[in-house]
Amino acid sequence: MDADTQAQVAFFLTGRRPSECLAAVDGLDLRPALFAGYRELTRLRYDFPLVLVGGRADGLFAQSLSGLVDGALETVAQGGEGERIRKHVLRLELEIRALAAAGVVKPFSALWDEAASRLTKTADKSFAEDLRRARAAIKFDGEVADCDTALPSRLLRHGWAAVQKQKAEAFHKDIGRLALKLSDILKADYERSDAGRSAKRLKAAVGASFGDTFDFDAMSRMLGKALPQDAFPPSRRKRICDLLDVFGRQQFFPALDAGTKPTAAKPYSFLFESCAEALQAFRDRMPMLIELVKAITVAELEIDGQYVESKHDALFEQFGANGLGQQDLARFPDYLVCVNAGQLQAVEQARLMEILSSSFPIKVLFQIDDILEAAPTGGSNLDTGVRTRQIANMAIGLNTVYVLQSSSSNLFRFRERVLRGLAYRGPALFSVFSGASAKASGLPPYLMAAAAMESRAFPAFSYDPSAGADWASRFFLEANSQPDLDWPVQSFAYENEEHQRVSEDIAFTLVDFIAGDRRYAAHFASVPRAKWNGSLIPVDESLTRERKSLPDKVPSLLMVDEGNVLHKVIVDEKLIGEARRCREMWHSLQELGGIHNSHAEKLLARERSAWEERMRQEVEAHAAQAAVVSAASAAPAAPEAASPPVEQEPERSADEAYIETPRCSTCDECTQVNKKMFAYDKNKQAYIADINAGTYAQLVEAAENCQVAVIHPGKPRNPNEPGLEELLKRAEPFL
Amino acid sequence: MAMNIMSTTGCLLEMCDERFELEDYQGGVPRWCTGCGDNAILAAAQRLCRDEGLRPEKTVFVSGIGCSSRFPHYMKTYGFHGIHGRALPVAEGVKMARPELTVFVNTGDGDCCSIGAAHWIHAVRYNMNLTVFLHDNKIYGLTKKQASPTTPIGTKSNTTPRGSYLEALNPLTVTLGVQNVSFVAQAVDWIPEVLFDIVKAAYRHKGLSFIRIVQRCPEWLPDMFEPWMRDPDKVQLLHHDDGLQFSASLSRLYKNQLRHDPSDLNRAREIASSLEPIPVGILYRNPDVPCYEDLLRSDKLRTPELTRAVLDAEFDKYTIRPQGSEKMQA
Ligand SMILES: Cc1ncc(C[n+]2csc(CCOP(=O)(O)OP(=O)(O)O)c2C)c(N)n1
Ligand code: SF4
Ligand code: SF4
Ligand SMILES: [Mg+2]
Repeated sequence: MDADTQAQVAFFLTGRRPSECLAAVDGLDLRPALFAGYRELTRLRYDFPLVLVGGRADGLFAQSLSGLVDGALETVAQGGEGERIRKHVLRLELEIRALAAAGVVKPFSALWDEAASRLTKTADKSFAEDLRRARAAIKFDGEVADCDTALPSRLLRHGWAAVQKQKAEAFHKDIGRLALKLSDILKADYERSDAGRSAKRLKAAVGASFGDTFDFDAMSRMLGKALPQDAFPPSRRKRICDLLDVFGRQQFFPALDAGTKPTAAKPYSFLFESCAEALQAFRDRMPMLIELVKAITVAELEIDGQYVESKHDALFEQFGANGLGQQDLARFPDYLVCVNAGQLQAVEQARLMEILSSSFPIKVLFQIDDILEAAPTGGSNLDTGVRTRQIANMAIGLNTVYVLQSSSSNLFRFRERVLRGLAYRGPALFSVFSGASAKASGLPPYLMAAAAMESRAFPAFSYDPSAGADWASRFFLEANSQPDLDWPVQSFAYENEEHQRVSEDIAFTLVDFIAGDRRYAAHFASVPRAKWNGSLIPVDESLTRERKSLPDKVPSLLMVDEGNVLHKVIVDEKLIGEARRCREMWHSLQELGGIHNSHAEKLLARERSAWEERMRQEVEAHAAQAAVVSAASAAPAAPEAASPPVEQEPERSADEAYIETPRCSTCDECTQVNKKMFAYDKNKQAYIADINAGTYAQLVEAAENCQVAVIHPGKPRNPNEPGLEELLKRAEPFL
Repeated sequence: MAMNIMSTTGCLLEMCDERFELEDYQGGVPRWCTGCGDNAILAAAQRLCRDEGLRPEKTVFVSGIGCSSRFPHYMKTYGFHGIHGRALPVAEGVKMARPELTVFVNTGDGDCCSIGAAHWIHAVRYNMNLTVFLHDNKIYGLTKKQASPTTPIGTKSNTTPRGSYLEALNPLTVTLGVQNVSFVAQAVDWIPEVLFDIVKAAYRHKGLSFIRIVQRCPEWLPDMFEPWMRDPDKVQLLHHDDGLQFSASLSRLYKNQLRHDPSDLNRAREIASSLEPIPVGILYRNPDVPCYEDLLRSDKLRTPELTRAVLDAEFDKYTIRPQGSEKMQA
């Protein structure tokens, strides 16, 4: 082993760097080579910034700026001027992106105008006109949100608000209908009362024009005499008034007339920044919620005229004793709690677990700003995201929580899943890495977040318990790039020393992600170009090697500096250990997601070898048969297909009298002959109810009258009945 | 999870629901002739109400005029014994005003196909959620034997003493020819098992379900159905996985069966035109045709304020001039 390799191996094993042949990476401002193209994010067209479109609870509630612009260009940038329009509008998009990245918080329409006014100062006339046309083609508006620390909570609150708005509309529609119908019942009762029939009231009902034409006193006297017997029970009146009162007092949704009626109770807030507070509020409000749900249920029965005191009073006495079911809760607002992993104390953590193990409609945004923070235990393991990732894994294990884990860079792609989680009946956990630890790397949050996802440090997935019974329907992992590989592989092109274009496939591993973080600089060492040798191998390759003796290869990665000059950087073993652990965790996710399922693969291998064995035996048997010309052996007859079970009809003797009841067409002929002998069953079809209730002659007469000929008179029971001989002859066709 | 599971409250409430027996639907004692096929239709309707748990106060039978139109009197539900030929428009009005009610229509071949023919065509096109029984005895029964549009050619009656001259109208093919048709079936009163299955399928179909029931009138046409009564092969039962399935005992008697897919409209028209044997079963069913009442339904709550505002807006279109002002105008 030459001296250079020896120094590299020593660094790999110990993390100590002899300065003469290895350089520190601090101050070199290196970043993973694959990031070379993302130096100026605002120059790129990608998912961000987003436009948080108001008033939509579907997939369009969040849209990307570039998506909106593309949509507009599709309609506007046509014909000969198409190219020019496209150029102009894309220039504006760039400006909007720069404004958003600079932290300007404004609605899309305002940002457009601001960007346009900046650019049109220097541009020609067609520019303003092109922008105007494109702007007219965009029908959406809303706050613009860039991929920054605030994005996760902004996006979630936005989606949550849309879902709640829908619920509020549905609620008001329901309550409005119920209240109207209940009032109608009270009104109808009033119309029937003495007061309702008073002369004064009758006069008022007729109106001014013909007020003098009638004698309302006489009318009132007349109507009073005809008062209905079944008076409206006072208990019902009270019940209905109580229901209306409960509707009026509820605080779960803002009252529709809150503006005009300042006395209306202040609506509850459902937005929280602490799990404990959200839980407390949920519990405190439960009695009121039960009262409201009960009132709605009773109101439906009242309106339908179905409320029966003897039955329902007792039932509703007990109502809600065991809390409310998810169906009952579903029409009411969901709680949204936004917490930050960095500030989560032990108590809060316990409350969070309590929420997740409950069935309450509480949605939690668990925002992680730094997945590479130092382990609080200070142990020998680094804590690359393990602690924070645990929460989502644990929540999945509970089986009833909607779980979504995603870097903020991927949230736009996950927008419909976000919405589904917000609409889920039960607790939901949104574990989001914001990438805001970027200060440690000098990278923009978007890149940091994207790198975390790409390197499997923070894979994106969702688990939806309502999507089906099995993992295949519930678990979704495909959003990650190249999910069937350990690490995503990308081709990287660069110019070598001979100015030749070289292209290489490189895997983006956890180590590449960590390499961008300055706090971990000590685990890396830059190898001077002169000392690049064959002992430097890519990280992913080194991970596949088991160390059985002194290593002769050292894991390395490609990085670039500010001037996009390529560096080779080696890594110490500790980080390689981390990468191995990360890969293991990724493998378990893959299994859950049905990729490289170990059980299935084992089964497949077993089946395949069994099949191969069978084929081998068959080939042998075939060969043996060909050799011996055997006598033709008849193939055993295939077993006869089982015939469907035939319903058994009761065995009848020709002597017995009977009716083929299912065929009776209820024509009344037989029952007219003798009502006691022939009767109808519960389906109103005839049968012989009492054979002794009549004569044989009547049996025969009925059989003759029966048009569908389903009455069989049998043999006479009384041998002394007169005229039997003739009757028997008449009965013959019906035996 | 647990998305479509019935809530505990729902279960408890259902336990409080009333259960009904056949007697709960039996109104007055029928005045139909003994042997009249209408009895079988009444039995099937009452059985349907019981089996489906239809609440009598939420169920309406609407009819026109004729023997068959006496039907509502014999049901202990709400009913409307209307005027000749107008059963369908009355039923449509009921359904429009009270969409939550279950509405049935009983109409005779005279009532529906003669004086009420215009209403029939448009009711099919409007496809409101009604179940229509066409009691087709091929004669005017109540008025004592006048030829109806469905009376077979050559039948002697009080209006056609020398035998009717015209080919009978086929209510099935006519209905199947109307735009928006969504359910057409044919039953015969003398096979109660199939009659009931058809009535049930019709009730469960959302849209206008039209059942033509071949109904015996022993009073005026005692021999008309003799051949069918004697020979089961003159009836062809239509079966399909998406249609009716018949019991083994029924199949032993009625061997003439045909597999027919009720979604096939053209084939349905072909089968419907057969007079010999007569097809019995579901000819056509399309659950996707929208119902008129749904198309028209509005989310707006009809509050007294809304009603007043709409009326006021309407009245504002007219100006009331002070008396004598017309003269000044002229
Ligand atoms: C406007 C009007 N025209 C004529 C009549 C006389 N009328 C009463 S019932 C009826 C025919 C009934 O035949 P159908 O509808 O087939 O009923 P069915 O009695 O056969 O069941 C007629 C013409 C009437 N009642 N009203
Ligand atoms: S005569 Fe025949 S069809 Fe009529 S009721 Fe009696 S058994 Fe039924
Ligand atoms: S006349 Fe005919 S249709 Fe009318 S009740 Fe009598 S049998 Fe029935
Ligand atoms: Mg008739």
